[in-house]
Amino acid sequence: MELSLSTRTVDHHTVLEVGGEVDVYTAPRLRERLVELVEAGARSVIVDLSRVEFLDSTGLGVLVGALKRLRAAGGTLALVCGHERLLKIFRITALDRVFALYDSVEAATAATDPDAGQSA
Amino acid sequence: MTLPDTTTTRPELSHLGQLERTAPTGSPERLRVLLIEDDPGDAFLVQELLVEARAPVDLEIATSVAEARSRLRSVDCILLDLGLPDASGLSGLRELLNETTGTAVCVLTGLEDEHLGIAAVGEGAQDYLIKGQVDGVLLTRALRYAVERKRADENARRLREAQLQQAESARLERGLLPQPLVDPSTAGLVSFYRPGRHRALLGGDFYDVVEVSPGRLQLLVGDVCGHGVEEAALGVTLRVAWRALVLAQVPDDAVLPALEQVLVSERRSEELFATVAMVSVDVPAGRATIRLAGHPPPVLLTEGRAVPCEVDPGLVLGVLPGMSCPAIEIDLPGSDWGLLTYTDGLIEGLGGDTYDRLGIEGLCALLNGYRDTVATPHELPRWLVGQAELRNGEPLADDVAMLLLNAGGAQW
Repeated sequence: MELSLSTRTVDHHTVLEVGGEVDVYTAPRLRERLVELVEAGARSVIVDLSRVEFLDSTGLGVLVGALKRLRAAGGTLALVCGHERLLKIFRITALDRVFALYDSVEAATAATDPDAGQSA
Repeated sequence: MTLPDTTTTRPELSHLGQLERTAPTGSPERLRVLLIEDDPGDAFLVQELLVEARAPVDLEIATSVAEARSRLRSVDCILLDLGLPDASGLSGLRELLNETTGTAVCVLTGLEDEHLGIAAVGEGAQDYLIKGQVDGVLLTRALRYAVERKRADENARRLREAQLQQAESARLERGLLPQPLVDPSTAGLVSFYRPGRHRALLGGDFYDVVEVSPGRLQLLVGDVCGHGVEEAALGVTLRVAWRALVLAQVPDDAVLPALEQVLVSERRSEELFATVAMVSVDVPAGRATIRLAGHPPPVLLTEGRAVPCEVDPGLVLGVLPGMSCPAIEIDLPGSDWGLLTYTDGLIEGLGGDTYDRLGIEGLCALLNGYRDTVATPHELPRWLVGQAELRNGEPLADDVAMLLLNAGGAQW
């Protein structure tokens, strides 16, 4: 299945909605888009993985890379991941302790102050 | 100029049967040709020749190399006049060859400049044509032949590249999958590796086993995220570093932190990380200590049942260097146990009717009753991959590495 990416802004947060499969073939496109967003000045990024069918270790690598890039720029990255299938992967890799994970975009926006990143 | 007869079969048309193989639908594929010619009279002549021959050619015209530059990539063949205002002699040809890789080039020379045509072929053009000495059929054939020759050259180049890459992959694979250093009387060991569906992508799975003292084994199974030479090379580095650390009898708790330091200092990109499972087994004492860095847990096989080892996972190596990796000890009951350590490629496939992805639960469900299904430990990994592929519906996408340590040696 293909990867789909769409970006919108919710209360000063940049929400990147990802759908389909994030694997060794499609992960470079996700990386590109995240780099573009950070370069364009996005500092509070929420990656919505609700419609992701499959995420492999290359995809995780891209998310970790984005987290590092955003932190270095004084920003924040939150992940929306409601379903168990994906949560399992975050648990096995213990990345659930590194990423801020939320059930929904609303929960992520409520928990993240869009300006917190810049002043930090 | 003579009007070519296109209806009778000419001897040179016997070539076309072969040349048209790339367009198996019957009619020859249309060629997109860019003529770079500053003389409107000569350009008109070329157009007329092609029309007369009813050649399946879409001709575009540029009057200089500069004007042609933006259109190079959208054509199959370039027909280049060697006497252009902005590029005389072979300089225009060199410029074009530098800027295109897959496009064929034919040059046009005057009768007195035939030596230039020969030199052009020496520089990389596919053919040369002498103005005034070519009819429409010959021109069409030369263009098509140039395109096919360029294609054949490109294919040969790609094949050479693929062969080199394959040799490189084979070298790296040998580095990733070593000869275990284990006395067969200590325990049975079955190692297994299966490259993923996309053979061209070298995976970063690796394993190693070292008997550090009689009855004491160290096992490692790991996976560098991503696929490619970079990842595989890092996998080899990690495996060899790990082997050196355990051979040097570095305390078990210090091995993975040191391995992470090696990863951080050797990786080319910040996005490269690795998951590993390290298992230290004291066979006479019937104890195993398991440390996981972002890796799925080993499965304990005993009394015909399969149970995942409950280990609090440590973080993937390379994400936040310096985090500690918890260790848990498990009992290996009597002489009836097997310990299966694997990479996630085994459990990432589709899970059939019951599970969305096979996962750890699906893996254990497959393994339950293993003693009745699989005659010997030696056959288990291959059988397991077969079952996983059956549920996946096609070969597994990712590489799979497995180590099965078995108390009973070659028997359950």
